[in-house]
Amino acid sequence: MIKGLLKKDLYNLATYKASLIIIVLFCGIAIIGTDAINIAPAIICGIVGMISLSTFSYDEMSKANRYVLTLPASKKELVTEKYILAIGATVLGGILGMILTVIVVNIMNYLRPENIINLDYKSLIIATLGGIFALSFLQAVQIPSMYKWGAEKGRIQMFILVLIIVAMLGGIYFLINKTNINIDMEMINGFITKFGIWILIFSTIFMYFISYKIAYKIYKNKEE
Amino acid sequence: MDNNIELQNVSKKYKDFELKNISFNVPQGSIVGLIGENGAGKTTTIKSILNITKSEGTVKIFGKDSKKNEKEIKEEIGVVLDDSFLSEYLTAKQVNSIMKDFYKNWDENKYINLLKEFNLPIDKLIKDFSSGMKMKLKIATAISHNPKLLILDEPTSGLDPVVRNEILDIFRKYIEEDETRSILLSTHITTDLEHISDYIVFIEKGKILFDLPTDELLENYGIIKCGKDDFIRLDKKDYIAYKKGKYQYEVLTNDKSIIRSKYNITTIDKPSIEDIMLFYIKGEK
Repeated sequence: MIKGLLKKDLYNLATYKASLIIIVLFCGIAIIGTDAINIAPAIICGIVGMISLSTFSYDEMSKANRYVLTLPASKKELVTEKYILAIGATVLGGILGMILTVIVVNIMNYLRPENIINLDYKSLIIATLGGIFALSFLQAVQIPSMYKWGAEKGRIQMFILVLIIVAMLGGIYFLINKTNINIDMEMINGFITKFGIWILIFSTIFMYFISYKIAYKIYKNKEE
Repeated sequence: MDNNIELQNVSKKYKDFELKNISFNVPQGSIVGLIGENGAGKTTTIKSILNITKSEGTVKIFGKDSKKNEKEIKEEIGVVLDDSFLSEYLTAKQVNSIMKDFYKNWDENKYINLLKEFNLPIDKLIKDFSSGMKMKLKIATAISHNPKLLILDEPTSGLDPVVRNEILDIFRKYIEEDETRSILLSTHITTDLEHISDYIVFIEKGKILFDLPTDELLENYGIIKCGKDDFIRLDKKDYIAYKKGKYQYEVLTNDKSIIRSKYNITTIDKPSIEDIMLFYIKGEK
């Protein structure tokens, strides 16, 4: 069933082929123009990840979910498929961005031997994971929002939720500063350097897991 | 006779609408028409049968509890919904590729042959199809896994008479192929049902007003056209509803023979299902 659901969404997303090629070309040009070698993975995984969520709009327009529920498919499978698609698109976008960066940098180094760019693979991986993490945060908020309020309203609610979360974090930071609590930044930086990759990976998995549970609970009780 | 669908006291409450204790059967080898005006509860009944909406009561399909055996049952059902299908940005070919991953019994050859029979292009986006073509595609998709039961919600609404007739032929052919098959067809275009249905279930304001064999309905019901004097003579229990016209009364009865024998009234017209429906909804008692 999930394979059929994935096909349904991927066929719809095929309409974005041309846009994706333009985005990849744009990122390639951006790397050449700015020497900013870490931007491609973040941008591509961001755009591909967000495009994957446009399948909610396709479903809503044709009321496809109501129809799919008349087939041998469950609500759980519908929600699971959306997460597989969202996570898959984000990770694939990140990998595509990394490959693009490596190719562009090597071509540039070949064409401009006098101006060699040293590709730091570790920082490229961290930049990619950072992009994936940021996107997973947005998706983790957006998917349950879309199940709750629908594709269009869900987007607006998602921005409101993100704004509230950012304001809360800002508030905590402000309070810490105001109350003069001493924070050992060196220790924090050391911790991040040592465990940064793992923190990003585990927090991404954790966010998706919690988001999936919430989205399924919402959709289970929703009437199509 | 075994039933493919058995509904017992199915109820569903919304803020502004209630489906109340709906009970009826869809026997094997039969076409059951679910009629009623828009908003009467036909779609809610279908959604309850398909477990798309949570409702109270018992729904048995092929003798099995529809909630406990949902997946197994849905493998054997074909559904056409008036207002929903897969995205219109797909082609009929892509629909085939998707559906074969949903149904174990998906018959690709049958689907392709049906597309040819219905003159549907395989590589054109659905959004560029006419309403009739879209409906034919939905029907081809619904019957290509050889289901035992078809559930159709308003399959002929918005279609011209030629296409409607073609679609009714498809249903006739489908039911004739296997005597254990059945169709539950909801519609507000009742003329379609006079030609193909075996039973009529009439829903009004969430309640069943009658559930009768179509032949019995068309044979026993009648419209008496009479003057005031004759109308006054009629016992209330002998008619269902009446309409007062400028010069005469039109009275719907569900037993023509009683009217003939008891009141000696012989001018009784044969009503259409639409006439009967209108008397129930608009008539006075």
